[in-house]
Amino acid sequence: MFKLNPTILVAIMLGIGIETSFVRSIILNGVVVLISSVYLLTQRPNFKLIGLMILISFPLAFGTWWSFIAFGTGDTHHLALVYATRLYAYLFLGAAVTLTVSVKDLLTSLNQHAKVSNTFTYGLLAAFNLVPRVRRQVQIIRYAGALRGVTYRLWQPQIYFKAILSALHWSDDLAIAMTSHGFSEGFPRTQTVTDHLPRWQWLLPVVLVLLYLLVAIIFKPW
Amino acid sequence: MQTVNESKTKWSLRDVIFLAIIAIFFGVIFEVWSVAYYAVAATPLKPYANDLTLGVWLMAAPLAGAILQKVGSSLLGEILAAAVEMMLFSSWGAANLISGFVQGVGTELGFAATGYKNWGKLGLTFSVITTTIITFIWDLFNSGYADYKPSLMITLFIIRLISAGFFGGVLVYYIQKLVAKSGVLKH
Repeated sequence: MFKLNPTILVAIMLGIGIETSFVRSIILNGVVVLISSVYLLTQRPNFKLIGLMILISFPLAFGTWWSFIAFGTGDTHHLALVYATRLYAYLFLGAAVTLTVSVKDLLTSLNQHAKVSNTFTYGLLAAFNLVPRVRRQVQIIRYAGALRGVTYRLWQPQIYFKAILSALHWSDDLAIAMTSHGFSEGFPRTQTVTDHLPRWQWLLPVVLVLLYLLVAIIFKPW
Repeated sequence: MQTVNESKTKWSLRDVIFLAIIAIFFGVIFEVWSVAYYAVAATPLKPYANDLTLGVWLMAAPLAGAILQKVGSSLLGEILAAAVEMMLFSSWGAANLISGFVQGVGTELGFAATGYKNWGKLGLTFSVITTTIITFIWDLFNSGYADYKPSLMITLFIIRLISAGFFGGVLVYYIQKLVAKSGVLKH
């Protein structure tokens, strides 16, 4: 199965993503969606998740479209479609990365090819492993409040304060645990996994970003 | 418990993990409340919903700045929060990471304006103003605000300023106060 290196995927996502913000073209948005979904399909993705993603974002795209019909100036029908399809361009660009690469592979790749330091790579990896625990902790905080008849609201500082307390404790414990397992900050380390990145793949983001730019400037697609 | 290094620029393992966990917490907390946003965002009132809730999304930046008090902590805090949101729950996809960067830069500029000396009321006020302006300029292009009627644009800017002011300013200030009072941080 053909797989692009995660670092290359991120570079393409950011490059095309920034261009997409400035180019008002329905056709180009469509092309981005098409290419991203073709790549997604070759990676045997979780179709249920993709379906859910399209379903959840539909009301947002619809709201965007409607708001330009209602409040837009100029060619409102064209603009409304531009911004509604742009949402999907972003969605599929992101999905081409997040649905095909695991957090661990992504961080390893960025560590070896994009000069992300060991401290950040392994620190982030450690934190990401706590996601289920964070979910449980948020529930515990809310239930503990409910037991005392207190409901925490988004606009009150208490729930954030409690989250910060947990984060402080956990980050302290994790950092100590990692150090005691031999992780030393700022020192070189031996790599047990080598992430393979063929040279030619670096050409891909450069070519795609330039191509997008040229097409957008010269042809000004609809 | 010592969480702040003497250095204002060097990042320790503990700081990185702390910021990432905070980002995950924020992601999970907002997930719980995002239903309200969806309800409004499916109507033409979507731009209002965007700007009203914007303060919530950019809270991670001033909070990271106010607690860690390091050069770059706001920018990094917001990028991490955006990355976490993207990897875990996003329906925004790639836009997340880019707008996270823009929001982080906006907040960072506010603290930089005080020469990284004031992380309290003054620094937060500056950061609210800079982040409102920077993110609004970004949305002129990215969310097509430039193509809305001028009257709506002005209304949106004011709503955004209020939202950023409340969540990124007032609320962060009170959270910071609670944290300081609890004595878990030694500055």
